[in-house]
Amino acid sequence: MTDVELHHGAASEVGLVREINEDAFLVSPPIFVVADGMGGHDRGDVASRIVVEEFAALAEAGYDPTRGPEAISATLRSSQHRIAEYDARQRAEGAHGFTAGTTAVIALLVEQSTEPMWLLANLGDSRIYRYNDAVLEQVSVDHSVVQELIDAGTITAAEAAVHPERHVITRALGGEGSTEADFFVLPLTGAERLLLCSDGVSGMIDDAAIAAILGRTSDPRDAADRVVAAAVAAGGRDNATAVVVDVVGLVPDRPYDSDAQRVSLEQKLGALP
Amino acid sequence: MTLSSYRPGTWFGVFGSATTLLLPGSEKSRVAALWARIDDGAGFDAVLDELLKSGLGTLPGFVLVSGDEGPTKVLVRGGVLVTGTAGGEPVRIDGSEALTWVERTLDDVESLRIVVDDLPSADAAEPDSSEPEPATDLPIIGGLVRVSCVDQPAVRAEMAEAAEVAEVAVLPVVPEAAEESSPLEAESDTAQVDAPDGVEPLDIPIDPPDVWARPAPVLDVMSPPAPPVGPPAGPPSGPPVGLPPGLPTPPPIPLGDPATEAMPTPPPVDSVEYSDHDGMTRTGRSEEEFSRELPGIPGQQQAPGVVAPVARLEISNGESIEVDRVVLIGRAPEARRFSSTEQPRLVKVPSPLHEISSTHVEVRPGSGADHGSAVVTDMGSTNGTVIEQPGLGPENLRPGIAVQLIPGATINLGDGVSIRVIRP
Repeated sequence: MTDVELHHGAASEVGLVREINEDAFLVSPPIFVVADGMGGHDRGDVASRIVVEEFAALAEAGYDPTRGPEAISATLRSSQHRIAEYDARQRAEGAHGFTAGTTAVIALLVEQSTEPMWLLANLGDSRIYRYNDAVLEQVSVDHSVVQELIDAGTITAAEAAVHPERHVITRALGGEGSTEADFFVLPLTGAERLLLCSDGVSGMIDDAAIAAILGRTSDPRDAADRVVAAAVAAGGRDNATAVVVDVVGLVPDRPYDSDAQRVSLEQKLGALP
Repeated sequence: MTLSSYRPGTWFGVFGSATTLLLPGSEKSRVAALWARIDDGAGFDAVLDELLKSGLGTLPGFVLVSGDEGPTKVLVRGGVLVTGTAGGEPVRIDGSEALTWVERTLDDVESLRIVVDDLPSADAAEPDSSEPEPATDLPIIGGLVRVSCVDQPAVRAEMAEAAEVAEVAVLPVVPEAAEESSPLEAESDTAQVDAPDGVEPLDIPIDPPDVWARPAPVLDVMSPPAPPVGPPAGPPSGPPVGLPPGLPTPPPIPLGDPATEAMPTPPPVDSVEYSDHDGMTRTGRSEEEFSRELPGIPGQQQAPGVVAPVARLEISNGESIEVDRVVLIGRAPEARRFSSTEQPRLVKVPSPLHEISSTHVEVRPGSGADHGSAVVTDMGSTNGTVIEQPGLGPENLRPGIAVQLIPGATINLGDGVSIRVIRP
């Protein structure tokens, strides 16, 4: 599709407390997914695996790069459908009130006006960060009770980190809630490194720690390993998963006014009319 | 103002002094916006304007009835059946027959019955059978309730007993309206005098009785324990529905000033019965993490927003863009937090001197007072944006403040890039 290359790394750990890893991830360029099966739900590992399988099928089948949101929506719908079927089977076998659930964050390379872009989608409280020019920025906005409280100005981000309801999410696949994802489009030049992670990472180490690791680790495989290792070292209370994707081969968008300053300097020196 | 009566269901019924609007249960956000308008006494045209603001394509159905002086105007879209009598003639309006909507103007309306939930086939007309249907008609003057069927004027059934309930169910009665019209009891009396007329719709042959035979499917999720209703099967996150008469009257719930309560989400009604919840999460079972209702029709993809272009942007680099959605313009624009049905258009403009920020301005179809024209917002650009409206001097945009664009206006982004706004 484009001349850019995507270098990537991924790591997932069960952590120190949980017995099974309910996280799942997919690295199948140009599609990257992290899904966090819900701890409060039975067999969340099945739900997160279904999402990953569905996006793997999308990677296999290919998609129209000009219709990225449609491709993601359709895949999320088929995932939701399969999770519902799984629920129904479990209930038929006597598991009363059975519901599996999972979050999903997705990064997909798309095209807008023939230019490659990152299309990002988010459902739940797994996160997408971008690391650009030594600055880490959270792109996705959590679908969680505490995020809504932050948005409403009721609590601060610091208070959210220790809020008793910080694990309650308002959108997810599976169950009966909203399955509408939020979408984001970023030009590749604005997102040379992406981090997709479950809340086992973002809930255990803060953004500064993540930024430090991403800043000093150039290989995306090492970066993913170290982010997850740091989350486990910080307590590992939840499954921790990280996918790091680097965009390589971009014509760099020159930092602000380097051109303008050079011209004006030359003009000042009288070298140019 | 006419006293109406309704039966609990899955649709939203918004009853105002000048208009009555019925919307499907999926249209929560529209209902929230429109309830405020209708409750303030907005007229037919104003309500219709607001209703169609975000496009007809996303709206699976609605019923809009004018209630002020003059002939009664009725607009019907989707699987809705309106029956009744006007000027001695029987009236039958079927919304499912129309591609857009059916509009009828009726003189001397004697009675109207609007059936919204699961319109059964018209030939399934059997006489009323075993179901305890007359017990579920509840009178209402104004407010927002879940309905399956609406009668104007109110049918008589259980009126006296239900009148007391109505005072609770009819929460946001406009104060002036309540004063100018007679008190509720008086209205009820009138309705009882008119009883033959009022009851008549029940006996219209085409009136499908099996509407009442089965409770509306989604309703039993949240309705109070009425006898024919199944066990609660889901999160009781929906707005309160009318209470069946005969149940003990619950204590009146204090409702704050509608203006302060009318936040976009949750719809005001949510805060009535479940005021201890935020309407977003865990309204039902404990450990229930997902409680928001699916938007749109369950299992069906939402239709893309259909908006006619309100303006065309001619960029100085020769590009021409229609404003039929959010347009983000900048050196390397980014789009944040949009849904799959409202994809913004990203327009990249050259900026060799980097005077233009990566996402510099947003132009989108306006809403509310700006409906029908484009509005421009500076997205916090580094060097700012200057607009020049026809006949006015240059004006600096303040970041985050939307400004309506008049055809002929010019938006200046810097670096020699300017955008002319013309009619679409």
